Amino acid sequence: MKISRTWLQKYFDTELPSAEAIADALTFHAFEIEEVEGDILDIKVLPDRAAYALSHRGIATEVAAVLNIPLARDSLRDPLPAWNPTDELVLAKGVEGKVNRKMGALVRGVKVGPSPKWLFDALKSVGARSINNVVDATNYVTLNMGQPLHAFDAKKITWHDGQLHITVREAAEGEQITVLTGETYKLPGGALVIAEAVEGTALDIAGIKGGAPSAITEDTTDLFVSVANFDGPSVRKTAQALNLFTDASVRFQNKISSELAAYGMRDVLALIQKVAGGEVVGVNDVYGGIESPASVSVTIEKIQKVLGAPLTESEISDALTRLRLAYTFDGTAYLVTPPFERRDLAIAEDIAEEVGRIIGYDRIDSQQLPEIARPLESDAYAGVERIKDVLRARGYTEISTQSFSGTGDILLANPLDKSKPALRTRLKENMSDALARAALAAPRVLGPVPSVQLFEIGSVFPKEGECLSLSLGYRALSGKTKAVHLDTIIDALRDEAGLTASVERSGDEVAEMLLNGVDLAMLGKGYVPLPFALGAYRSFSTYPFALRDVAVWTPEGTEETEVSGLILKEAGEYLARIDCFDRFEKDGRVSYAFRLVFESMDRTLSDADLDPAMERIAAALDSRGGWSVR
Amino acid sequence: MDEGRLHPITVAIREIADIFARMGFSVAQGPELETEHYNFNALNIPADHPARDMQDTFWTVEEPRRVPRTQTSPMQVRYMEEQAKKGNMPPYRIIVPGKVFRNEATDATHEAQFYQNEGLAIGEDVSLAHLKGTLDTFFREYLGEGSRVRFRPSYFPFVEPGVEVDVWFEPEGKEGRWLEVMGAGMVHPSVIKNAGLDPEKYQGFAFGGGIERLIMVKYGVPDVRLFHGGDIRFVHGFAEKEV
Repeated sequence: MKISRTWLQKYFDTELPSAEAIADALTFHAFEIEEVEGDILDIKVLPDRAAYALSHRGIATEVAAVLNIPLARDSLRDPLPAWNPTDELVLAKGVEGKVNRKMGALVRGVKVGPSPKWLFDALKSVGARSINNVVDATNYVTLNMGQPLHAFDAKKITWHDGQLHITVREAAEGEQITVLTGETYKLPGGALVIAEAVEGTALDIAGIKGGAPSAITEDTTDLFVSVANFDGPSVRKTAQALNLFTDASVRFQNKISSELAAYGMRDVLALIQKVAGGEVVGVNDVYGGIESPASVSVTIEKIQKVLGAPLTESEISDALTRLRLAYTFDGTAYLVTPPFERRDLAIAEDIAEEVGRIIGYDRIDSQQLPEIARPLESDAYAGVERIKDVLRARGYTEISTQSFSGTGDILLANPLDKSKPALRTRLKENMSDALARAALAAPRVLGPVPSVQLFEIGSVFPKEGECLSLSLGYRALSGKTKAVHLDTIIDALRDEAGLTASVERSGDEVAEMLLNGVDLAMLGKGYVPLPFALGAYRSFSTYPFALRDVAVWTPEGTEETEVSGLILKEAGEYLARIDCFDRFEKDGRVSYAFRLVFESMDRTLSDADLDPAMERIAAALDSRGGWSVR
Repeated sequence: MDEGRLHPITVAIREIADIFARMGFSVAQGPELETEHYNFNALNIPADHPARDMQDTFWTVEEPRRVPRTQTSPMQVRYMEEQAKKGNMPPYRIIVPGKVFRNEATDATHEAQFYQNEGLAIGEDVSLAHLKGTLDTFFREYLGEGSRVRFRPSYFPFVEPGVEVDVWFEPEGKEGRWLEVMGAGMVHPSVIKNAGLDPEKYQGFAFGGGIERLIMVKYGVPDVRLFHGGDIRFVHGFAEKEV
């Protein structure tokens, strides 16, 4: 939520530190800060604290606690006015169990117009658009103290015998409503709507967004102000179905307290009268009873034991006081009575967290776990690693591929990539594909090798049930791949790792073994996976590489490095790899053949790039006595 | 014969498992396709909870529907439950390295499938200070002697208190910086209860963080999408040495 430092300042008599300093303090004691821009902090309020902290007032209480500066005023602790009910308004909760509280007020004689500058600026500072003074007043109160509320044009709702009858009902499947911003939504069945009670006309998607027909316009004079508390899960379900999450829905889905409604009503009526005038005819309230969180008991010992820090009574008491949490202490245990808006404090661990974060987690010293006698139980893991080690030692390279696939037994309801809507049932398809790409990359990555060999171990999801699978891939780069190549490695797995499982062959190049029948713990018993150290990663070029061969006769006794050294000196910046692939001696001379791989990180190389380098190399080799390029 | 290569995820998990083994942690593994119960409900995230929106979830077309797990945390409950059923009471110490899935648009730092390493330590007095000590030790050994962790308050429904863990990382020859590496906290008493243990008697910590991200910062990998593309150019992009 966007929070303005200027706005926060209203809660304090002392000058607040800079937005940056507030952000730092909140980061280590309360919330993650997404961004600070000038005077505005974008604060990530997570669901646990959303019932009180999605508001400037809530953030002000946190700033007060974290920075230990006194909160000069807190409207949630001020007494509520006694309102007169009015007969002109007949309110009903409508749907039992889904409407926790329904308040309504009639206001007559407002003058709708532009907002005063302070209100316009305050909304603008946190990214909210000014509509008119009445609508702005409702939005301001929500952003200020957290209660969603809505003002309707009372004259645009049908009256019956001098009365306005308002209820909440469940929408029929597909029922349409046009909202304030002009879009028309088809409601899911059961979505709550605020409705005119006699005709049943839907006025508003309850807890989400107001309807267009009863919107406040320049000629509005009378208001029906609605402040309610709707069932969080119901609001969330409708918001999800419509993909319409609003300032209101987010607050309801996080279960703000029903108590908050009356404070919202008080604040919005006062602000409307201040900026638009008008007379409050009356306020009606349909409410089951007072909602207040239960007290939480927690011992000092429990707090110390959870945090692992020897905090003292005075430190703990101080943290609770800074958070304005009422408590009693009996020498051993605290009985904390959270204020109504704190829906997050229910168990002893919640109080331990409050104490820990206010004191600061940097005050918790690292402590090592004690030794335990229980032996490690990692055999099944070691069994898989043993298979990998055998394959690696035999020249196989491990790959990892995507679990989503074009076809399969289990489909996703919401695939990310529509061409891969299923979970893979085998690894072999990915293996064939990887093998083909490996063959193309081999000269650059592996040099002049006779074959590429790959394996993957990963989960597959056939209808019989999820299991681990091993796929093997072998492709000869010179000559033809034969079945015997994979047979050899399958035999080695049996002989060296004890792996036996039925083998599914897909031609000569790919084989797969499902490991569901394999006792991996037995395979891994006592096996210690080989540890490796990796070096820094070198990115590969996404542009094609180019190959050039050079062969040279040299005098007897010439070392390979002598030749390669000379080539390296002349080859230029694009040489990526050099391998000697042939050496033989004849008539007192030695012939060397090298394969050079050229590559650029930012473009495809052409003959114009390579020919000069090859000419330089040939000239350099030829210039040595007794050397001649073949 | 030339030797092949292991995937960097394999190498990293071995190193991680080694470090944790010295602190008494076993390696446990669980299914990638999870039930809604273990992935969410048993972790204090019922169907109507807004915390469900904190992760973008894939669902299967099945009755009942299942979920390619969004986190390795379901193994917390599976493991505790299984041990308690066998009559093995805590201490428990496990790590759970494994693949997880998130339904979010991919870019250089986001993948729809990636690896997480989960940690769980349960005992009679395992505390947040032990979490800090365990992670300090892990990161010093994995990322280098100058590493240390700090906690920031956060929220995950299955822990209380919940923290984000930052680690101070000093790459060779470069300036140090704080990296956000995992979520963690004290296992929520209702999760311990859901697994069939007595939360009055047992408490402990859990943590979970991405493995690719650690490899990316440690070795300088620029794009997370390289990891699971089945490309040997990536696997061979690291020099590999037996230690």
